[in-house]
Amino acid sequence: MIVAFVFLASMTLMCALGVVLSRNVVHSALFMSGSFLGISGFFVMLNAPALAAFQVLIYVGAVTVVILFGIMFTQRPQVRRFRTIINRQTWSGLVVTIGVGAFLGYVLSIQDWSATGPGNGPQGPGPLGEILLGVGGAPPIFGLLFEVISILLLVAVVAAIVVSRRKTGEGVDRGVEE
Amino acid sequence: MNQTVGQQLIIAAIPVLPALVFLILALFGRYIREGAQFVAIFGVATSLVFSCFALFFVARDGAPIDFAVNWINLEEGGSFPMGIYIDGLAAVMLVVVCFVSLMIQLYSGAFMQDDKRFAWYYAVLNLFTASMLGLVVASNFIELYVFWELVGLCSYLLIGHWFEKPEAARAAQKAFIVTRVGDMALFVGIIMFWRATGTTSYQGISEAAQAGFIGSSLFATAVVLVFVGAIGKSAQFPLHVWLPDAMEGPTPVSALIHAATMVAAGVYLVARTYDIFVQSPTAMLVVAYIGGFTALMAATMALTKKDMKRVIAYSTVSQLGYMMLALGIGAYSAGIFHLYNHAFFKALLFLGAGSIIYAMNSYNIFEMGGLRRRMPLTFWTMVIAGVSLAGIFPLSGFWSKDAIVVSAFAEHFYVLFAMALLTVFLTAFYIFRAIFVAFLGEPRTEAAREAIESPGIMTGPMVILAFFSVVSGLVGTPLRDYFAEIVAPSEFATEALGVEPHEFNVTLAVVSVVVALGGIALAYALYVPKPERAAELARRFSPIYTFLDKGWYFDALYDRVFVRPAMAIGRFVRQFDRRALGRLVTGVGRGFSGAGERLRPLQSGGAQNYALFILVSVLILGVIVGAQYAFLTVALIAVIALAAVALGARL
Amino acid sequence: MPPQAQQFLDTLNSTVPLEAYLIVGAIMFAIGAWGALIRRNAVVVFMCIELMINAVNLSLVAFADYLPDAGGAGVGYAVLVIAVAAAEVAVGLAIALAVYRTRKTVNVDEVNLMKG
Repeated sequence: MIVAFVFLASMTLMCALGVVLSRNVVHSALFMSGSFLGISGFFVMLNAPALAAFQVLIYVGAVTVVILFGIMFTQRPQVRRFRTIINRQTWSGLVVTIGVGAFLGYVLSIQDWSATGPGNGPQGPGPLGEILLGVGGAPPIFGLLFEVISILLLVAVVAAIVVSRRKTGEGVDRGVEE
Repeated sequence: MNQTVGQQLIIAAIPVLPALVFLILALFGRYIREGAQFVAIFGVATSLVFSCFALFFVARDGAPIDFAVNWINLEEGGSFPMGIYIDGLAAVMLVVVCFVSLMIQLYSGAFMQDDKRFAWYYAVLNLFTASMLGLVVASNFIELYVFWELVGLCSYLLIGHWFEKPEAARAAQKAFIVTRVGDMALFVGIIMFWRATGTTSYQGISEAAQAGFIGSSLFATAVVLVFVGAIGKSAQFPLHVWLPDAMEGPTPVSALIHAATMVAAGVYLVARTYDIFVQSPTAMLVVAYIGGFTALMAATMALTKKDMKRVIAYSTVSQLGYMMLALGIGAYSAGIFHLYNHAFFKALLFLGAGSIIYAMNSYNIFEMGGLRRRMPLTFWTMVIAGVSLAGIFPLSGFWSKDAIVVSAFAEHFYVLFAMALLTVFLTAFYIFRAIFVAFLGEPRTEAAREAIESPGIMTGPMVILAFFSVVSGLVGTPLRDYFAEIVAPSEFATEALGVEPHEFNVTLAVVSVVVALGGIALAYALYVPKPERAAELARRFSPIYTFLDKGWYFDALYDRVFVRPAMAIGRFVRQFDRRALGRLVTGVGRGFSGAGERLRPLQSGGAQNYALFILVSVLILGVIVGAQYAFLTVALIAVIALAAVALGARL
Repeated sequence: MPPQAQQFLDTLNSTVPLEAYLIVGAIMFAIGAWGALIRRNAVVVFMCIELMINAVNLSLVAFADYLPDAGGAGVGYAVLVIAVAAAEVAVGLAIALAVYRTRKTVNVDEVNLMKG
C-alpha cells in the first residue's frame, strides 16, 4: 500500500510542478492530465473506484480536451526564456504558498486521526449512486444538489456558447481594434 | 423699602431700556439708519424719567431701594445674587448719567450725521449707558465687575469707532489694555474678599471686616487692589496714560464717557464701598495722595497742549484726582458733589470742542482764533464752563471745589491742601489759555475765518448744560446743603472717620477764588496782547516745556518697559506659531499624504497581485484563528506572511 | 527471511495513514496556488486552478474513506465538485477566447487597464 501511495504521490506532485514550470503550454496541459491520472489512482486506493472512473472520463477525457482546444485557439509560440512565462511575483508567491501549504498541512495533520481506518468508502457504483441521490446513509440533501448541478451544467453550456459567440462583422485576422 | 412689583419693574427698567435699544439698533440698525437717534433718545429719556422717580423715592423715604434675584446658587460654594441697590448716591448718579447721556445723544444726531456706522454708534452708546446704569445700581462686587467690564468694552468700541484711522485703533487698544491692568487688580481684590468672607456683597464684606474676619494686612491689600481698579478706570496716576489718547474717538463720546460717566466709575466705586475703605486708614491715605498727586500732575501736563481735546482730557484726570482726594480725606459728600458738578461742565467743554471741530475741522487751538464773533453761543457756553471749572463764585464748580480745598485744610492735610490750591491756579490757567487762544484775537487760518455756528440740535444741549453748570451747585451751598442730606456716608462710615462738620471758611473761599482769578489773569497776559510772549517763555524753559508736553515721559517709559517687550514676545510667538507649529501641522498632513502615496502602488491593477494578497490575508487570519496551536507555528507563519508582503509590495 | 526484511515488508504493506493523503493534498494545493499566482498565460492559470480543485477532491475522498460516521458522503461531494469544475472550465475558456479575440493576447499582465 505504501509503495503504491509513494509512487502515486510522487507522480501527481511531479506532474503538478510540470504544469507550473514548463515553457510550452501544451506540455503544461499534458502534465495536468498526468496529475489527474495520479489522482484517479488515489481514488482507487481510497475504495472509490467508480469515482476514479469519473475522474478519468471527465477530467482526463473532457477537461483536458477543452483546454487543449483553448490553447489551440489562443496560440502562442513556445518561448525560449523562462522569464517570459513567469510574472514578477515568483518569490513572494513562493513564500506565500509555502506558508499556506505548511499551514494547511500543519492544521490537518495535528488532529488525532487514530480512530480512523480505511474501508468506509463506497466500493462500487451502486453505493455511489445511493450517496448521490441522498438515500441509504448519506445526507438527503444530495438529492437536491444533484438536480441543481444538472441545471448548473446546462447554464454553463449555454453561457459558454453565448460568451464565445462571434459577433457579426468580427473577424479573427483583423488588426487589434483599440 | 418694600416696593410693589410695578415699582420694582420701573426701577429695573432703568438699565434695561438702553440695553433693549442696543439690541434693536444692533440687529436692525442697517434698516433704521437715521431713525436710530430717535429710538435711542426715546429710550434714554424714559430712563431719565424713571431715574427721577427713583431719586424721588429715595429722597422721600430716606431709605435705599433694595431687591435682588438669585443668579447663581452654589449651595456650599456660596450664592451670587444679582440685585439693585439704590441709595442717595446711586440715585443721584442715575439721574446724572441719564441726563448727560440724553444730551450727548441729542448732540450726536448732528455731529455724527454722515457717519457710515451711525446706527451702530448709537447702539454702542446705549449699551454703554445701560452698562453704566447697571454698574451704579449693582449691589455686590460680582455684579459690579460684570458691568465694569462691559463699560470698558463699550469704551473700546467707541474710542475705536473710526477704526480706519490707525491712531484711533491704537488708542482704543491702549485704553482697553491699561484699564485691564486695573481690572485685574480689582478682580484679585474681589476674590480676596470673597475667600475671606464668603460673600461679595458690599454690606456683607463691610460687616465681616468689622467683625474682624479679615486679617488687617490682607484687608488693606485687598482694599488697595480694589482701588487700583478704580485707578485704572478713572485714569489716575499711574494708569492715566490712556485718557489723552482716547480723544481719538468722536467728541460726543469723549463728552459722555471720559468726562461724566465712565471715568467717574472709579470714584463711584470708592464711594460705594466707602464702608469698606474707611476701615483701612492706609488705603484712605493711598487714595488721597494718589488723587492729589494726579490732580497736580495732570494740570501741569495740560499747560502745554495744543489740541483742545487733550487739554480737556487732562483736565478730567486732574478733576478726578480732586474727587479721589476728597474721598480719601473723608469728605465724602464734597467729593461726590464735585463729581456731580463736574459731569455738567466737563461734558459742556467737550461738546464745545466738538462744536468747533464741526465748524472748522481742527482741534489745534493755534489754528483757531477770533471764533468769538463767528460762534458766539459756543464761546459763551465754553466761557461759562471754564469759569465753573476754575471754581469762581457763584458757579457750581466753586461750591464743590471749595468744599474739597477747605476740607483738606480743616483735616490738617496741609500737603494735600497746597497741592489742591496750586492745582486751582493751574486749572484756571490752562483752561483759559485754551479759550483765549481759540476764541479771541484774529483768525489764524482760512478755516477759522469760515467757521459758522453749529446747528441748533448741537447748541441746544450745550445751552442746557451751561445752565446746569451755573445752577447745579446751588443744591449744595453751605446755606442749605440738600446734596449732603441725600448723599451722605453711612453712619458707620461717619463714625469711623471721625470727621466733624466744619463751617464755611470764608477766608479760604476768598483765597481760592483769588488764586483762580490769578490764573485767568496770567493766561490773559501771556496769550492775548502779545502772543509771542508765550512762545518766548516756552523756548527759554524748553526742557521743562518738553517734559510737560511729553506727559512727564510716562508714555515713553511705559513703551520701553511694557509695550516693546510685549510686542517682541508677540512677534516671537507668531514666528513660532508660523514656523514650528505651522510646519508641524502641514507636516502631519504631508506625512499622511506621503504615506498614502507610498501605499498607492499596492493597488497595481493586476489580478494575480490581488490573489497574492488574498492568500497572505488567509494566512494571517489562519494564524489569528489558530493561535491556540503552537506558538512556534504562529511565529513561523507570521514571518512567512511578512516576507511575502515585503516582497509583494515592491511590485 | 531475515526479521528486518520481514519488518520492512510489513511496513510496506501497512495501511497509509490519513495524514499522508491530507499532506499530499496540501502540497498539491500549494503548487496549484503558486502556479495561479505565477503564470502569465491565462490558460495555464486555469490548469493550475484545476490542480487546486483536484487536491481538494483528494482530501474529500480521503475523509470519506477514513471517517466511519460520514457515510461516504465525501465521495458524493467530490462528484459534485467535479461537475462544477467542468462547468467552470467551459465558461472560463469561453471568456478567455472572447478576450483573445479583442486583445489578441491571453497574457494576464497585458489585460490590465487599471495598471498604475
